[in-house]
Amino acid sequence: MTQTLTGTESGTGTGTGTGVGAGTGTRTRPGAAARKRLTPGRIVAWAVLAAALVATVFPFYWMVRTALTPAADLYSDSTSLVPQHPTMVNFLRVMGLTSQEEAVAAGGSGAQVDFLRYLLNSVVYSGLIAVLQTLCCAMAGYAFARLRFPGRDAVFGVLIAALMVPPIFTLMPNFVLVKDLGWLNTFAGMVAPTVLMTPFAVFFLRQFFLSIPREVEEAAILDGVGAWGLFWRVVLPMSRGPLLTIGLTTTVWAWKDYLWPLLTGRDEEVRVLTVALGIFQQQSPNTSPDWTGLMAGSTLSVLPVLVLLILLGRRLVESLNFTGGK
Amino acid sequence: MGANTAVARPRGPAGPASGEAPAPGRARRAPDDRKAAWLFLAPALLGFALFYAYPTVRGVYYSLTDYNLLAAPNFTGAENYQQLVTDDQFWNALKVTGYYVVVNIGSQTLLALLLAALMHRLTRSVVLRAMLLVPWLVPNVTVGLLWMWLLDTNLGFVNHILNTLGLGTTGFLSSPDWAMPSIAAVNAWAYTGYTALLLYAGMVQIPQYLYESASLDGAGEIRMFTRITLPLLRPVLALVLVVSLIGSFQIFDTIAVTTQGGPVGATRVIYFYIYEQAFTYFHMGYASAVAVVLALILGVLTAVQMRLLRASRSDLA
Amino acid sequence: MRSLRVRAGAALLCLAASASLVSCGGSDDTAADGTVTLDYWLWDDRQLPAYEDCAAAFHEDNPKIKIKITQTAWLQYWQNLTTQLVSGEAPDVWVNQTTYSPTYATGGQILDLQPLVERDDVDLSGYQPGLTEPWVKDGKRYGLPKDWDTVAVVYNTDMLEKQGVDAADLQNLTWNPTDGGTMEEVVARATVDTKGRNGLDPDFDKKHVAVYGYLPEWEDASQGQNGWGEFAAINGFQYLDKNPWGTEYRFDDPKLIETLDWYKHLIDKGYAPSLAQKSELGNTELLSAGKAAMTLAGSYSISSYTGQNARQDFDFAPLPTGPAGRKSAINGLSDAIWAGTPHKEEAWKWVKFLGSAECQDLVAERAVVFPALTSSTEKTLAAYRAKGEDVSVFTDAAAAKDGTFLLPITERGTEIGPIVQDAIQSAILGQTSTEEAMRTANDKVNALLE
Repeated sequence: MTQTLTGTESGTGTGTGTGVGAGTGTRTRPGAAARKRLTPGRIVAWAVLAAALVATVFPFYWMVRTALTPAADLYSDSTSLVPQHPTMVNFLRVMGLTSQEEAVAAGGSGAQVDFLRYLLNSVVYSGLIAVLQTLCCAMAGYAFARLRFPGRDAVFGVLIAALMVPPIFTLMPNFVLVKDLGWLNTFAGMVAPTVLMTPFAVFFLRQFFLSIPREVEEAAILDGVGAWGLFWRVVLPMSRGPLLTIGLTTTVWAWKDYLWPLLTGRDEEVRVLTVALGIFQQQSPNTSPDWTGLMAGSTLSVLPVLVLLILLGRRLVESLNFTGGK
Repeated sequence: MGANTAVARPRGPAGPASGEAPAPGRARRAPDDRKAAWLFLAPALLGFALFYAYPTVRGVYYSLTDYNLLAAPNFTGAENYQQLVTDDQFWNALKVTGYYVVVNIGSQTLLALLLAALMHRLTRSVVLRAMLLVPWLVPNVTVGLLWMWLLDTNLGFVNHILNTLGLGTTGFLSSPDWAMPSIAAVNAWAYTGYTALLLYAGMVQIPQYLYESASLDGAGEIRMFTRITLPLLRPVLALVLVVSLIGSFQIFDTIAVTTQGGPVGATRVIYFYIYEQAFTYFHMGYASAVAVVLALILGVLTAVQMRLLRASRSDLA
Repeated sequence: MRSLRVRAGAALLCLAASASLVSCGGSDDTAADGTVTLDYWLWDDRQLPAYEDCAAAFHEDNPKIKIKITQTAWLQYWQNLTTQLVSGEAPDVWVNQTTYSPTYATGGQILDLQPLVERDDVDLSGYQPGLTEPWVKDGKRYGLPKDWDTVAVVYNTDMLEKQGVDAADLQNLTWNPTDGGTMEEVVARATVDTKGRNGLDPDFDKKHVAVYGYLPEWEDASQGQNGWGEFAAINGFQYLDKNPWGTEYRFDDPKLIETLDWYKHLIDKGYAPSLAQKSELGNTELLSAGKAAMTLAGSYSISSYTGQNARQDFDFAPLPTGPAGRKSAINGLSDAIWAGTPHKEEAWKWVKFLGSAECQDLVAERAVVFPALTSSTEKTLAAYRAKGEDVSVFTDAAAAKDGTFLLPITERGTEIGPIVQDAIQSAILGQTSTEEAMRTANDKVNALLE
């Protein structure tokens, strides 16, 4: 019953497991031949997947479609699948590539948008949070998963309970703290509350560290490697998948973050993309948002993370399969 | 990839109380790593203390005061909590939130599970995975505004299609009956892909040989899913359920940009109510009391979830 | 023991990394040469250029004071402001609004301008009548008026023309809650079903309406500024025992209930969309899409109808005359000074300038809003005319004798809004009778003010 029909991977880029790195060792391809026959069941399954995909992607398409619509057509042409007079002007004005008059003519407010700067700020903001938070939380997760010390489970329980803390509690005190530190309008202040830990990241990484076979570490321990060396040289390289996953999750989260950077990073020098794109939302209670600009801006803000996702996507889940690591 | 990896998988969701019990008869490290441990934990604990613990203590204190943000708080004891018991809006908010959570988590988790299983068993396409994740990348405010367009009664594409099919139009966000399910569906759209990815990540770890031998025994896909995938996915499923349940209870953005709690309170969820109390009405003390109750509810639900999922962890491993 | 040091150092890596990013900026806004930077906050992006003009002119006159304007969207404006106030980092001056103002004033966050007004002998008589009162309570003055708005009928000229209604017919509309007067007749004519029959046609199919004659606004808090408030007012309704600063609302007044029931009647007739079928996107969007012919609009939304991207032709007409005459809501914003500002004198100078003819004329030139000084009104109209727009119905409404009424201003306005809005919506949806809904809401509201 094997090796008959579509014996190859579907050419979508998954076939290359090479970039995954040594840590993952040999991986069995789950697309093993046994499942490759095209049975009616599989046809149904593909159909379901395809339907889900359409439902997922269509609203996103609609966002792009609206972004390509001239503001004047927004209401008169709101139901055709393709805009009647597609235009790039919304993308251009979001990137600050049009004059103020052109931007206003296209339905914008004429506010100056220094897109590249905000993009860079967003990269710095999300990058800092993603890297440092992942590192700090990996250390904590490892301690909870492997090290023995009194009160470990209690401390872990308390830390995880932070998941339940309502954001309304943390917003004001954190703002006051950051302000008292003199960190308003600095990256330090913007990343401070999330850079050291989030309960989710600790929780997630601890769960994954728990599942690493102890044999590997035990061999290293016999070689006299201490806890720190073990973590740095053995555990981290083996955990590329979960680290990437949580790092990426954190990146996306920080990339989309709005209220906190709005409160703490208003200045041009540190303003991130989401805050800058706020200008395209509804500005006063009796006006409409700048719809086409908003959709163009949102589309542009999604692209960098989407590219990151596709670049890392291959490594991401493939390397999650780290239990076979050597 | 040996057979023994199956048992090296996480022991259940391992809630607060379940550490890794030392397996007997193995080589042991020194029994106490406390020095190293505290160093490992230092950054996280510092972050926790400054940005979670301290604000929480303050919040709990505020819940016992008449704090209005603009003047110093006066201690009022349990007054806020007493008021809460007779506050119709609060109970309505709880009810509405419960409805939302059930619809949202129900649809989102089931769909995600289905998608993850399909991805796991059909294809490993990176592009496909990335496409499923696209909604998760869209900023929350945009998600709400985008769907306002799509679902609008008169100008929206969804109603345009329904109308063309002769099904008439529906006020998805303006009818009290439809508003909450619509919001739940919108957020399911935004987060199903991400949930599916996490579940898929868990599925990928399930040793392939289990499927192979089950297949040789003549088991079908559905049987394999219920007998192999689901039980072994339990730790990840627990994590996903716990985290998305908590997130679901805290839904705010979508409602703030679309229905703002309306019509007639049909979407005034608990977190929107807390927000209104705190920042629109300036009742920080009362808002804190509601927030404390919400946190307690979440704590209980999480504990129950952990217990349930841990109780059945021995299914196969 | 080197390894221990290494470990300790490494463990603190995260801390060090974040600490090293701190720039030494701080929040000291007085520069070495004595130049003071004032933070000024507003939410309306369309007004930003006008106030940038003012800031530049002000800086020219006062080289030692710089104005830093920050614009934040309405949705986050108040939360942002409150957070800053709580932390003692608030803007020196911000644009204030009547619903939120009482809370900030009572909370001691807004500087009382009365002593300064008296000291500097500021002339308050030049402002549009009614604009200064909302900001005065118990002899304390919490702001100087900066602009105002009134309400008029906005209609799609082509659609009404097609139904044989021209601009002249709209100049003297009448209205009453019993038969709706000529207003209802025009609304009925303007409503067209998918077969092209208007609302007066006996065969009119209310299940398949292509163009609604009138769009009600149901998310209008306790004020009804964009609809029910106006109709209730021309029916003789008064919100309060005393406005501003009354302590007893009258939302159970039969005059308001009649008005709401007339709205329900419009929906029953098919002239207006039902609440459950309304467009969540908003009335402006629906009118712009050509799916409706008329609604009430405040002068703050003029540009939404006349902007260069408008595909439909809109014009404005005066409100109808009701049993109690013709009245438009008048409302305005003010500039408030933070009580905790370290630069009180500079901030006062700026606020005085904002309220002066020099700045208000600059605002007038931008034609986005009507400045509070009556002397600037003509300039604003001229600026609009230069854009080819005639918006004199709004200024006429403001100038007419007894032509305006004040929106309700009381303590706890932010809490009262949702209570009344929910009650009105549940009445319109038919969940409760109008009378019962309004009575219950009124009791709740008045209990808050006890």
